[in-house]
Amino acid sequence: MIVFEHVGKRYGGRSEALADINFRVGRGEMLFLTGHSGAGKSSLLRLIMRLEKPSRGRVLVAGHDLDRFHLSQIPYYRRQIGVVFQDHQLLFDRSVFANVALPLEIQGVEPRESARRVRAALDKVGLLYRETALPIELSSGERQRIGIARAVVNKPSLLLADEPTGNLDPQLSADIMRLFEDFNRIGTTVMVASHDLALITRLRHRVLRLREGRLVGDEEAA
Amino acid sequence: MTRRTTSSDSQRGERRGARASQVGLESRTRAWLRHHRAMWLDSARRLAKRPLSSLLTMLAIAIALVLPSGLWLALDSARLLDAELDESATVTVYLDTRLDESAAMDVAARLRDQAPVAEARLVTAAEGLAEFQQGMGLEDALASLKDNPLPAAVVVTPADTDPDAVRVLASNLEAMNGVDEARVDLAWLERLRRLAELGQRLTLALAGLFGLGVLLVVGNTIRLAVESRRQEIEVVTLIGATHAFVRRPFLYSGAWYGLGGGVLAIVLLTLGGHWLSAPVTALAESYGAHFTLPRLGVGGSALLCFCSTLLGWLGAWLAVGRHLADIKPR
Repeated sequence: MIVFEHVGKRYGGRSEALADINFRVGRGEMLFLTGHSGAGKSSLLRLIMRLEKPSRGRVLVAGHDLDRFHLSQIPYYRRQIGVVFQDHQLLFDRSVFANVALPLEIQGVEPRESARRVRAALDKVGLLYRETALPIELSSGERQRIGIARAVVNKPSLLLADEPTGNLDPQLSADIMRLFEDFNRIGTTVMVASHDLALITRLRHRVLRLREGRLVGDEEAA
Repeated sequence: MTRRTTSSDSQRGERRGARASQVGLESRTRAWLRHHRAMWLDSARRLAKRPLSSLLTMLAIAIALVLPSGLWLALDSARLLDAELDESATVTVYLDTRLDESAAMDVAARLRDQAPVAEARLVTAAEGLAEFQQGMGLEDALASLKDNPLPAAVVVTPADTDPDAVRVLASNLEAMNGVDEARVDLAWLERLRRLAELGQRLTLALAGLFGLGVLLVVGNTIRLAVESRRQEIEVVTLIGATHAFVRRPFLYSGAWYGLGGGVLAIVLLTLGGHWLSAPVTALAESYGAHFTLPRLGVGGSALLCFCSTLLGWLGAWLAVGRHLADIKPR
């Protein structure tokens, strides 16, 4: 699903954010990406999302060499990826329902079908009863779950999460992780960047460890 | 599972892509239309939510539109006047003073038979004197004259009103028997034409300049709108929105501003026309001309609205295009 071949990334003249990264992720796998802040987790995710190009090497996702994409193809590529952000990135001027419906609106899904899928996604994260609420009325845990609902509403084959539990207490974090495991169980490839080591070790999935832009560990699921 | 090659992945991806494009065209067109309708309404709603600032923007556009379109209207009416003048471009043929009235009639008849003459009206010496007295208010001075000093004249309307053709006709007529002089006064007519041409160019230059002004007004307004919706743009870009999708609501906003400005400009022009019409008509009457201020009319109004809407759209397009490049998701 994801292949990194000798990938390096350098911003401007500064030292390398990523250096010679090599790994493969199979379809349907679930794994964590860990390391201190500044170790390159976010840079790596940005490369997969094709927000940036690698300075060296190449990145393949679902068989596509991301370097070869024409600028106009990138939006269509991103639609196949669900992304969960640390700060959830919800739009505060519209309801929970409209927020989750956004990816479907972008893809031009017919409204009735869209409503059905939005409700299914909200149901999955246990917040169907909040569909008419505004994001401002929700707790941070709820907002994060809405962010997840939005990420999975178009049934992406790859789900990326950047510190999805960063602002949450351990109980809520565990709930969120369980959600990711649920999606993984139905075949979605899930990659979660997190520095919450206690949580990660408890969950027993494959872990990629980054330190100062280098891949220093690739531990298979226990 | 973990270390599988990616070739099968890629094949599956391609197959899915092919199917998607087959399902596509009709439903994609429907989705496209749906989004257009949604953005059309959404942008109108956003404008309506802040009526004062929207109105001010539209007013700025309207003011920029009023001057060139007002000038254009004035010029258009000058063209009408010009056409009227063309018809009045006549050659006055003064006959030999020694000819008596029947001989004058003969000459007039001969003139009428000339090919490039549309019409020839004889003004006898006596009629000429009467006209002169009336027109100039010189009754007393002329009454003291023993003989009528005026020659009989034939007012010839040329078939072709082109200045050069008229000049040729005049010199031909002058060569005829019994004709003393053929006079044509075209200089003032040509001067008027040049003036009209100057006015036309001035209007075009002003229209260009003020059109640019409209672009800037709309562009600046849209720039602020883009800035205030920056987060939304970043998010939708992250989840796969195309540039066209991001641009669409702003384009509609720009078009709305343009349309509103166009409508306001029509209102301003109509009001201004009413305000000016009485003095203009009075002024024209004092010159003995019949002239009323022209109206924009349905066609003109539609054209003005269309142009202003297009300008608004274009201004938004330029502004969004420039700022989309700046906005990159974090």
